[in-house]
Amino acid sequence: MKNQGRLRFTYPILMLSMILICLNSFAQQREIQGTVKDENKLAIEAVSVNNKGTTQQVQTDRNGHFKMTVAHGSVLSISYIGYKTQELKVDNASIYNIILVKDNTALDEVVVIGYGTVKKKDLTGSLASVGAEAMKDKPVANVGEALQGRASGVQVINSGAPGSNVSIQIRGLGSINNSAPLLVIDGVPTDLSLNALNPNDVETIDILKDASATAIYGSRGANGVVLISTKKGNKNKGSITASANYAIQQATSLPKMLNAQQFASQHNEMMANNNNRQRPDFADPTLLGRGTDWLDALLQTGKLANYALSYAGGGEKNTYYVSAGILNQDGIVKNTDYKRYNFQFNNEAKQTAWLKLGNTLTLSHDVKHNGSYSVLNTLASLPTQPIFNEDGTYSGPGNEAIFYGDLRNPIGTAMLEQNTTKGYNLLGNIYAEANFLNHFTFKTLLGLDYKAWDNMTFSPKYNWKPIPVPNSYRSESFNKSLTYLWDNTLTYANTFGGGHEINVMIGSSAQNNDYNYMNGSIKEFLSDNNNQLNNGLLDPTVGGSRNEWALLSFFGRANYTFKNRYLLTATVRRDGTSRIASANRWGTFPSFSAAWRISEESFFNKNDFWSDVKLRIGYGVTGNQAVLDNYAASARLKTGQYVFNGIPVSTLYPLVMPNPGIRWETIKQQNVGIDASFFKNRIQLTMDAYIKKTSDMLVKMSVPITTGYSDSYTPMINAGEVENKGWELSLRSQNLKGELVWNTDFNISYNRNKVVRLDGDVPIYYGYQSHTIGQPVGSFYGYLTNGIFQNWAEVNSYAYQYQGADPANSTAPGDIKFRDINKDGVVNDYDRTYLGNPTPSWSFAMNNKLSYKNIDLEVFFQGVSGNQIYNANRVTLEGMYTIRNQTTKVLDRWTAEGTSNEVPRAIYSDPNKNTRNSDRFIEQGKYLRLKNLTVGYTLPEAVAKRLHAGRLRFYFSGQNLFTWTKYSGFDPEVIGGVDNSNYPITKNFSLGLDLRF
Amino acid sequence: MMMKKIFYMALAAMPLWLGSCSKFLDKEPLEDPSAESVKDASAAVAMINAAYQPLQRPKLYNMRIWSLDIMAGNSAVGAGGGDDGIETIQLSNFSTGPDNFSAVDLWRGPNPGILYCNTVLENVPSMDIDPQLKNRLIGEAKFLRANYYFILVQLFGDVPLSLVPAKPGDDLKPARVSKERIYNEVIVPDLKEAITLLPRREEYADQDKGRVSKGAAAGLLAKVYLTLKQYQLCIDQCNQVESLGYVLNADYSDCFGGEPRHKNTAESLFEVQYYGLTKAGFWDDENQANWLSTYMGPRNSGWVGGGYGWNQPTAEFVSQYETGDLRKDKTVLYEGGPLFDGKAYKSNMSSTGYNVRKFLVPLSISPDYNTNAANIVVLRYADVLLMKAEALNELGNTAQAVDPLYMVRQRAGLTDKKSITGLSQADMREKIRHERRIELAFEGQRWFDMIRWDNGQYALNFLHSIGKLNATAKHLLLPIPQVEIDANPNLKQNPGY
Repeated sequence: MKNQGRLRFTYPILMLSMILICLNSFAQQREIQGTVKDENKLAIEAVSVNNKGTTQQVQTDRNGHFKMTVAHGSVLSISYIGYKTQELKVDNASIYNIILVKDNTALDEVVVIGYGTVKKKDLTGSLASVGAEAMKDKPVANVGEALQGRASGVQVINSGAPGSNVSIQIRGLGSINNSAPLLVIDGVPTDLSLNALNPNDVETIDILKDASATAIYGSRGANGVVLISTKKGNKNKGSITASANYAIQQATSLPKMLNAQQFASQHNEMMANNNNRQRPDFADPTLLGRGTDWLDALLQTGKLANYALSYAGGGEKNTYYVSAGILNQDGIVKNTDYKRYNFQFNNEAKQTAWLKLGNTLTLSHDVKHNGSYSVLNTLASLPTQPIFNEDGTYSGPGNEAIFYGDLRNPIGTAMLEQNTTKGYNLLGNIYAEANFLNHFTFKTLLGLDYKAWDNMTFSPKYNWKPIPVPNSYRSESFNKSLTYLWDNTLTYANTFGGGHEINVMIGSSAQNNDYNYMNGSIKEFLSDNNNQLNNGLLDPTVGGSRNEWALLSFFGRANYTFKNRYLLTATVRRDGTSRIASANRWGTFPSFSAAWRISEESFFNKNDFWSDVKLRIGYGVTGNQAVLDNYAASARLKTGQYVFNGIPVSTLYPLVMPNPGIRWETIKQQNVGIDASFFKNRIQLTMDAYIKKTSDMLVKMSVPITTGYSDSYTPMINAGEVENKGWELSLRSQNLKGELVWNTDFNISYNRNKVVRLDGDVPIYYGYQSHTIGQPVGSFYGYLTNGIFQNWAEVNSYAYQYQGADPANSTAPGDIKFRDINKDGVVNDYDRTYLGNPTPSWSFAMNNKLSYKNIDLEVFFQGVSGNQIYNANRVTLEGMYTIRNQTTKVLDRWTAEGTSNEVPRAIYSDPNKNTRNSDRFIEQGKYLRLKNLTVGYTLPEAVAKRLHAGRLRFYFSGQNLFTWTKYSGFDPEVIGGVDNSNYPITKNFSLGLDLRF
Repeated sequence: MMMKKIFYMALAAMPLWLGSCSKFLDKEPLEDPSAESVKDASAAVAMINAAYQPLQRPKLYNMRIWSLDIMAGNSAVGAGGGDDGIETIQLSNFSTGPDNFSAVDLWRGPNPGILYCNTVLENVPSMDIDPQLKNRLIGEAKFLRANYYFILVQLFGDVPLSLVPAKPGDDLKPARVSKERIYNEVIVPDLKEAITLLPRREEYADQDKGRVSKGAAAGLLAKVYLTLKQYQLCIDQCNQVESLGYVLNADYSDCFGGEPRHKNTAESLFEVQYYGLTKAGFWDDENQANWLSTYMGPRNSGWVGGGYGWNQPTAEFVSQYETGDLRKDKTVLYEGGPLFDGKAYKSNMSSTGYNVRKFLVPLSISPDYNTNAANIVVLRYADVLLMKAEALNELGNTAQAVDPLYMVRQRAGLTDKKSITGLSQADMREKIRHERRIELAFEGQRWFDMIRWDNGQYALNFLHSIGKLNATAKHLLLPIPQVEIDANPNLKQNPGY
């Protein structure tokens, strides 16, 4: 089939060439032949070879071979998509070997900008483009992970659990509420998680960063836009690719915990200091030995296997790309795993000369065993407790209740309790594109985004202390979300004499979402194996709800280019949302940007150093409506239940203070940038600086509680302001060409954010963090430590903390001194201050790719700096105030005058509140890591041919191999900056192969 | 060319479609009724029902209020050790700071109730419903609002005052208003009005039993007057309760069980009502089961649903029972005491050697931690009798105080009337105080009594006598939670915190 297809399309071209040859027969004609290969010496099929100045054209065959009859002195132009076009003058030779070089200058690359595309060289806004390269051949489970460090100004933070999503921030935190960028997959704005995609199906990821680029997405463009395009087939070229990758995963670093003997001594001391009874079996700790290593029992070596198969191609009038993928991951925590199955079907057909039809369709299904574990509780479990009783059942903590703690056997729950999430996703579109009246293109696109996910938890009954589960229990929930989209755009493009080019697009978009869920649970099953909701005996419950939103938009964009030198872009979008009351539901989001390609000016002296220089400037207004509740503006009453004399009755009450004036957050962003290339485009530099001001930011109304409105559903008002300022630089360099190829990509970004205004300028405190005027969003907040009280004289002369008459329940030597910042003689909440910034101000990455003959090497470093981490694990694991195991750091604890000025004494119930929010638990978050190291070997062509393969490559790849950090927890990559040991990040070692026919 | 025609027609039709989509953006909430849509009697009743519901929450009667007995020294936290119950441990060690969750809950607990009462009082008067029902609803709201404010002023002193639902644009950062003003302008007048508006309890139909009635309002007003040391007014209200037909139950335990017959008994003036089965969690605001048995059952005993070993009576408390006091066996589990549900108690089941028995509901009635339907008694006739005795004695009518005191003791099997006859005013005061401690043990009354007596000096003396040396005058009020001060800088902290 494939060969026939190729023949069918190459035949007319050959015919044409023959006719041309005849026409030219009076010139001095002779046959030449040649082979076209890439830098890896692999033949390239379907390369166009043009005889310049004629219409004569041939294409290379499967072996990269071509033949042509041309006149002496003709110039051949050899071009292939993704490679630099080469020219060749026909001399006396009759055989030509041509090596095509990958087009790394990429200036002619087309990038997706939302409702259209533009040549990268004509960009006026700030955009980062990440190609499939970044995703290929890496032991990563999802697209988000592969994005990390690949684009300046884009921060990606991993969450370690199998099947969990990454957090993406573009240019800092634009809002205290929701700073996630809008995700658009093949033209459909979606809240699908990046997980649902097979990284192998992604062609490019274009990230719109500044407002002049994102304003076309109006009320959703505030936090940047991530545009993902899936792969399409190539015309006249068929291929089958198969890839396989198998990785093992390990935690990057593990905390060191006390052994049984050390724990018992610590426990005895802690109880004695609080005048509590001693645990009898800890009387002689030396008898206890090492005890149980709980974490070791919870963790295992993870496995990640990724298989993908695709076929793609096309004829003269149609292209197709079809793929299937399977990902299978066993997490490093036992009983956590993730499986994902993907299909991708992309087609495009030129139905008539003026009408193009196409579709993309992503189907994915995933099964995630979330497990039932707490890494923190596992660390905190007592080393003096065995995992199993002698009869093989899971142990309880034994002894008297006061010595239990309240931790369930963490291994028991991890092994017995089930928690599974299954997802079913369908994301696709069908589009038609019509060209008419020469310069007009009309495109209509129908998009569909259907997600269903269900969650099941099941726990058998068990009676281990301290907290038995008296009944087996099952709960299930079913969720579905259906979004449809209808986009229409009309584009007019024309070029006028004198170098004027204009491109005008107007469009409309309507999007509607309907979400509903249902859940139920029941208790007590006859058998743990037959535990469907139908079988349960006790306490059935049921619940569910439904909500909707809709967005209607009109937008337009005009580009004007004069002589390739002056480029202007203006966009405007008008959005109406169902989430806002009708009086102010419509908003207008304009933007303007301009660029000046200074290198095209006659006065600019292009030379070997300067190849291309473009200056850019832009301004735009965007909105953030993701933060709005679907019915944010409505005055609503909740219904609930009360009871009189045993008979339930309905209740009706106001939950949230209505705010009919609520509207979206607005972001105004200015951007200046420069794109420059040097040394014949071998070095390309892009640099941008921006100021991003968020106004009308939704903040919780202060004083919600005395109003009586819910403390968990606080009303919001548009009263906050946040500012982000920063710059980004990315550099791309071809250091060496030829046999040894060496390319370097480097990017660095700096962003500083601060809260400018809040409701009544009252700080918002939450957990260990606060939003405070003049400080970064979510800055850490608390007390400053000031050493340790060494003796009673120090305690008594110091500012009042919790000094009291009962020494076992009051501040005493060995406790931490906290700074009395306002010097009022009392250490209280007014002495809390700024402790650190959870968001890195610097992020940087460098990738080096080398290839020599058949060997290729990629070394990718990535890091961040300027941030702090609140290591909340240490509150529990170094607090020494409760019956939990502790890290070995507490071996340095204060026991008598002069023993420590850093680690306080052990005392049950912590009367001095040594564990309060303070700089004690703040650590530097900066790190540099060898994110990826890949070594590949491509079989020589001849060998591959013998195996009937077009190309066969083996590689080894390691992810997160080395990390340089001062951080003491599992890993410095912590979403949100507060480390609660959710799931350790892993380092991965993988082997893979890539096969193409 | 046919296709091209269709295409141009579609293109021409687009503006038409766009014109028709103004409705596209109108989305009404599907789950929550809008405020405009509820105007009828059933909505009005549902609104008053909501005003009761915050009583049910762990922020108030389901946890924090009975936990005040731990602060008052009747019991120890027990619980699971570690930071399980740490906020209550801090309270009872008098190392409480403005970050104490218990104080946060007690501060937050009444406020939704006040809002829901204010919502009723704002909306119901203008509704076109049966006037008799309307009066009742207003009376219920006034009673509940007074009760919520009474809790706040006793625990925190001055608090912000809100008498209409807050709306956008209102001042949301009110300063604290003196507790005297709140007593004079809200609590007392609200209760007086409630007494006139509310029906007697027997006028309620069966399905409405448990709503507040005239008697409940009179009983609560008596307590308010007692707290304000307006003893004669207190006695008047106690007499009104008596005239409304309230009596002591034959058995001390009849108010506390999990069976239907234990609900809204003859002795009961006001109870927090529970349905039992809930899917809400321990700390949720929604429909709750009664957690008392769940929390107080001996830890890991399997005797009751849950059984977390909270609230363990101290040896000092148990030693206060007089010989022959029948209430000891009904209140406390102790080694050698009567079997519970056929099981014998051992002193190593708790760290003090005791557990609370009063509220435990056996598995046959409540099989799981979230199935207990027992009500929680807020005000009962025995309390009214003891209030009356106290007020009489404080007015110098010590002899008249004997009768009401005796009625309570008699039911407890303490029938020697002579032992309480002919006492000096001071001795009688001690007797009554002792009697309140024993009779109302673990019902969340002790702390309020202790801070009322001798302007709180009683509390400090008592706490020091049981070794709680950290307690100082500042602890007679809880700290205003720092999170609230952070949100509203107009709130000034209580002295000493």
